[in-house]
Amino acid sequence: MIQQFLDAFVTVQGWLLDTLVQPPLLALGLGSYIELAFDGVEIFMWGVLQLLVALLVLRPLETLRPLERWRDRKAVRVDLLYTLLDRLGVIPLAVFALIAPIFVELEGWLRFRGFIPPQIEDLLPALERAPLIAFFVYLVVLDFAEYWRHRLSHTFRWWWALHAIHHSQRQMSLWTDSRNHLLDDVIGGLWFAVVALLIGIPPGHFIGLMLVVKLVENLSHINARLSYGRVGEQLIVGPHYHRWHHSLALPPGPAFRHGCNFAVLFPVWDWLFGTLYLARDNPPTGIAPNTVPGTPDHDGFWRQQWDGLRGMWEALHAARKQRS
Amino acid sequence: MLSTFTRHALQTLCSTIVVLTTPAHAGLAVALNSADGTVSLIDTTTYQVVGKEIACKEPHHLLPTPDDSSLIVACSASNQLVFFDPKTGKEQRRIRDISDPYQLGFSPDRKWFVTTSLRLDRVDVYDAQTMQLKGRVHAPRTPSHLAFDDDSRYVFVTLQDSNEVMAFNLATMRPEWFLPVGATPAGILMSPDNRYLMVACMGAGHVEIIDWREQKTVKTVPAGTATHNLQPRGDGRHYFVSNRSMNGSIVLLDTQTMSITERYDVPGGPDDMEVRADGKELWATARFARRVQVVDLTTKQLVRSIPVGSSPHGVFFLDHAGRR
Repeated sequence: MIQQFLDAFVTVQGWLLDTLVQPPLLALGLGSYIELAFDGVEIFMWGVLQLLVALLVLRPLETLRPLERWRDRKAVRVDLLYTLLDRLGVIPLAVFALIAPIFVELEGWLRFRGFIPPQIEDLLPALERAPLIAFFVYLVVLDFAEYWRHRLSHTFRWWWALHAIHHSQRQMSLWTDSRNHLLDDVIGGLWFAVVALLIGIPPGHFIGLMLVVKLVENLSHINARLSYGRVGEQLIVGPHYHRWHHSLALPPGPAFRHGCNFAVLFPVWDWLFGTLYLARDNPPTGIAPNTVPGTPDHDGFWRQQWDGLRGMWEALHAARKQRS
Repeated sequence: MLSTFTRHALQTLCSTIVVLTTPAHAGLAVALNSADGTVSLIDTTTYQVVGKEIACKEPHHLLPTPDDSSLIVACSASNQLVFFDPKTGKEQRRIRDISDPYQLGFSPDRKWFVTTSLRLDRVDVYDAQTMQLKGRVHAPRTPSHLAFDDDSRYVFVTLQDSNEVMAFNLATMRPEWFLPVGATPAGILMSPDNRYLMVACMGAGHVEIIDWREQKTVKTVPAGTATHNLQPRGDGRHYFVSNRSMNGSIVLLDTQTMSITERYDVPGGPDDMEVRADGKELWATARFARRVQVVDLTTKQLVRSIPVGSSPHGVFFLDHAGRR
């Protein structure tokens, strides 16, 4: 059964590679990228499977047990476009193509001078013989870094202007997860690349790590009454927990002046760093007026991208004026 | 290729079942699963996978020590060389701080041990006895496979993305010349008479025959789509050439006539190869199909297809044919 699934998966993957990807790569003299392209095809196939699960399981759940009932779903349409671009690999591929050459140059330069970047296995050699545990450790370290990236994107006004695109959705659904400014995606890619370089995450793990993160994020934005149980909600970020992060009104208190519940996978970071907020009710989502540079409340993809850049520019300009 | 987490979980289950149900084995084949970081151990009599050992992060190529007492696995993402006992498949020892070893080779005089760093454009030369770094050269771009002349004066390296062969002088520790060849050169071997270099050019789909003393190409032999690697048949005359596409093949090159004389259909992206000492079987890793393929050289048919891990690359058994 397992072998049959694996065989079927790689048969389709190989067919796509042979038919659609390899011929143009060879014709363009890019044969070295075939192995990378094979991984790219895998990302695409996992994206298709994820979309199928979302359509066949999660979307019906939103219909059967909705948290909020909306008159129409027009505002959600743009999020679907973001999701397609993200899950089918278009945005990840573009971000990778932009970032990878820079890091290869940097690492190549360091290594030529004898510096070998550290690896988490240098501290914990036992992980060399326990790849599953090593994978989990990478996930925890990565999630710790993601917590801080996320928190900082709410703290700096120029960054918040970009990230606000994600928060401007008042009809939060399973598709909202991928709604991000493209520059915010690039910054996220850079952040991940630095962490991967610092702890030695092998490129072969990228897809697995991405799948776990995307699955949890998909579920944490869902517009459905879905609970992981009392214990589960403490261990992993769920829809109720994350809804407070998207709340239209921030919880009271100085600790929450930039927001709350920043964790992506594990709530433990919010608990450790004082940004945990737990409440029983489910608040409305969105951004309060006049809290973001620019006006990130338009529905169109390109309009949102433009608003984000303009907001970032305004925030940087205001900061410069304040300094002078 | 499946996500690392899923892969490890499924394969642990599969290999446990296999180990519990398989009888003792006589000869052992070792296949590197580069995306899983493991080696699959295959009984060469029953063609069953009898075990799996954890190796490291991204093991790509392997090489026996000159006395065949150890099998060296180059772990590019772990910066290690891991030594396995080729009879039992058990780990013997590790050498750390070998920076990003991808392909590897001993010079014929056993004085030098050379590695390429495909990802970071570098070739390193170590003292084969002490494993101390003795030479390092920036080798743009994408140094892939390597070969030596009989006198151990040169190591020749294919540069996949600059479409060249580099001759690196081991006496001066400097590159001596670069020769343009067909697109995306990968596998490279010296002919039995030490006169010609044979270079598999993926993008061009041919084997290029180079008179290395004259520094010129004397012939190109069309081989198939994505011509990737070479392996001696062991008779001092014929070489197998793998065409690494999903719908792939392996062809037989006669070095006396410099022509293709046989062709075998080997699906799944055939890559590295090994030939049985009696000349009856050819084994090849199928990179895109998670399998090791076995061709009966008498009937010229694919007779076995052995499921292994993800992205199998190097393959070896002790009972192998000569290297010329």
